[in-house]
Amino acid sequence: MSESYYGEYGGQFVSEALMNTLHELEEAFHEACKDPEFMKEYHYYLKEYVGRETPLTLANRLSEKYGCKIYLKREDLNHTGAHKINNVIGQILLARRMGKTKVIAETGAGQHGVATATGAALFNMECTVYMGTEDIERQHLNVMRMEMLGAKVIGVQSGSNTLKDATNEAIRTWAKTAEDTFYIIGSAVGPHPYPMMVKEFQRIISVEARKQFMEKENRLPDTVIACVGGGSNSIGMFAEFIQDTEVELIGVEAAGMGIASGKHAAALAAGKAGILHGMRSYLLQDDDGNVKLAHSISAGLDYPGVGPEHAYLNDIKRVKYVSVTDEEAMEALSELCRMEGIIPAIESAHALAYALKKAKTMKKNQAIVLCLSGRGDKDAATIEAYFNGEDYLN
Amino acid sequence: MNRIEKKLALLKEAGHKAFITYMTAGLPDMDRCADVIRAQEEAGTDILELGIPFSDPVADGPVIQDASFRSIQKGTNLKKVFDLVEKLRIEGCQIPIVFMMYYNTISFYGIAAFVAKCASVGVDGLIIPDLPYEEQGNLKKVIDKTQDAPILVPLVSPVSKQRIPMLLKDAKGFVYCVSSMGVTGQEATFHKDILQYLQKVKSVSKIPVMMGFGIRTAQDIVPMGDVIDGCIVGSYFIQLMEKNNYNLEVIKEYITTFKNEMNGVK
Repeated sequence: MSESYYGEYGGQFVSEALMNTLHELEEAFHEACKDPEFMKEYHYYLKEYVGRETPLTLANRLSEKYGCKIYLKREDLNHTGAHKINNVIGQILLARRMGKTKVIAETGAGQHGVATATGAALFNMECTVYMGTEDIERQHLNVMRMEMLGAKVIGVQSGSNTLKDATNEAIRTWAKTAEDTFYIIGSAVGPHPYPMMVKEFQRIISVEARKQFMEKENRLPDTVIACVGGGSNSIGMFAEFIQDTEVELIGVEAAGMGIASGKHAAALAAGKAGILHGMRSYLLQDDDGNVKLAHSISAGLDYPGVGPEHAYLNDIKRVKYVSVTDEEAMEALSELCRMEGIIPAIESAHALAYALKKAKTMKKNQAIVLCLSGRGDKDAATIEAYFNGEDYLN
Repeated sequence: MNRIEKKLALLKEAGHKAFITYMTAGLPDMDRCADVIRAQEEAGTDILELGIPFSDPVADGPVIQDASFRSIQKGTNLKKVFDLVEKLRIEGCQIPIVFMMYYNTISFYGIAAFVAKCASVGVDGLIIPDLPYEEQGNLKKVIDKTQDAPILVPLVSPVSKQRIPMLLKDAKGFVYCVSSMGVTGQEATFHKDILQYLQKVKSVSKIPVMMGFGIRTAQDIVPMGDVIDGCIVGSYFIQLMEKNNYNLEVIKEYITTFKNEMNGVK
């Protein structure tokens, strides 16, 4: 198989009208990666605009309570509040290099949409963001932010009215407008070369984390943990550690109301190989091969598929994929607020929930590094409703 | 000989263009869907494109998205559509049938089992909008070694350009030329370079060239009349059927009128 595949996952399952676009993109991306000027510019914006590098914070009180060192890679401290901006800066610079004047994006939690709207404002591009109407409701703050940044937010009402459907609509628009429009995909999904591009532009997370950990501990961490929806923060967090076989890598999917309930978003735990959004990967499907609706309290993890490289890393057993429920994630969220003074995104709270479980099985001198992919401001309404025992959205 | 090839040979002999319709399987329900197909054969539809509904039809515009969604709600699935085709063939229906479907539906059913079932019930062709040339290997391997296997219809787009010879090499049946960028059903807003593009395809193609996406009446294809060998009507045809509550007489009237106008029959 060609480089568009990770084992039997990946590929380019798009309409003929997009094939030349994908080939052009692939070529432009490879050239950009080899161009020192491009990478210099990318790193310039990461430092001067995004505010990198982000700290690797030792969570002292949690470490003491749970019995091993817990380090947090603070992607929540990036400009716009999550890791999504790393990838947007990379892709938007590439779009500019390719002479495109408009960008489109899909968004679930709204973080990628906000990041794209931000990048578009910075580089003076026209920006349209597709978002499921259900997500528009539960992530209202982010919708306002996108609009303030000058982006047009288009509500998508089809299927589940969430990220999957927003992605369908973005793909349709892209197929119509690819001649002047660049599609900025936010997760490690989509047709090749997107999963590879997203990984390269998120790799900075583990480049920094690995170096920071070495400086602090003079060794490698025992375990690295990140949450997995489509899988962008996790692939960025794993990238530099994949070769370090002594480091245990754990991806945490959203188990929603529990895998057995059928209401979850755990494609690796309960899906089977299928084709959606231009890629072959693990996918939640019903008995007829239609895509099943995912469920998670976290809009950013509410996706029925997963990036193809994760599917591959799962099959070759380099990464262990586990899942935690809405309830476990919300408990962990609360724990981090009260013990460390950090309000995490609900997405990131999934990684934390598993880290706390895992910590109890580890020795005092062992260390976990977990990717705190985003901050929780955007989730305030959901968090409030959840802890008041109200029906939280979804 | 495959029913598509047989039909196209007859049309060529008569100097007529092919009229192809698209309908989503299972609407308004399975029984009436069969009635519509029989009526279409009677009225002279040359090839029938039967859409297998899928939850995430990314190549389709609002009309077919909506039709797919409603059909799934009514319980339509691939197995039931196979049963439908089987029943029609047993009754003697000979209209060439092409499945328009997304690749996940095939992958989920199992490629080998799917091709074998198409061959046994009498599905003549496949249009798979999310399976570009580069990804067709696995399916083609099975098709090539199966007797009476359906033809995989090549799709060409206005921006395919240098890819056209590759796409048409070894192609069988007919070429499906997408008239515009994007999705189905965009009301005759064809690509700005439509004529040059169709001429390019025609010059390379050894098989008939059909145009689809956004066509409503025979008038819409008059400018391309000298180049193409036929056309496909999808979204508009669905809207027409919906609007008229699947009245068979209205359907037949539309088909007859379109065909006569297209072929200059008074």
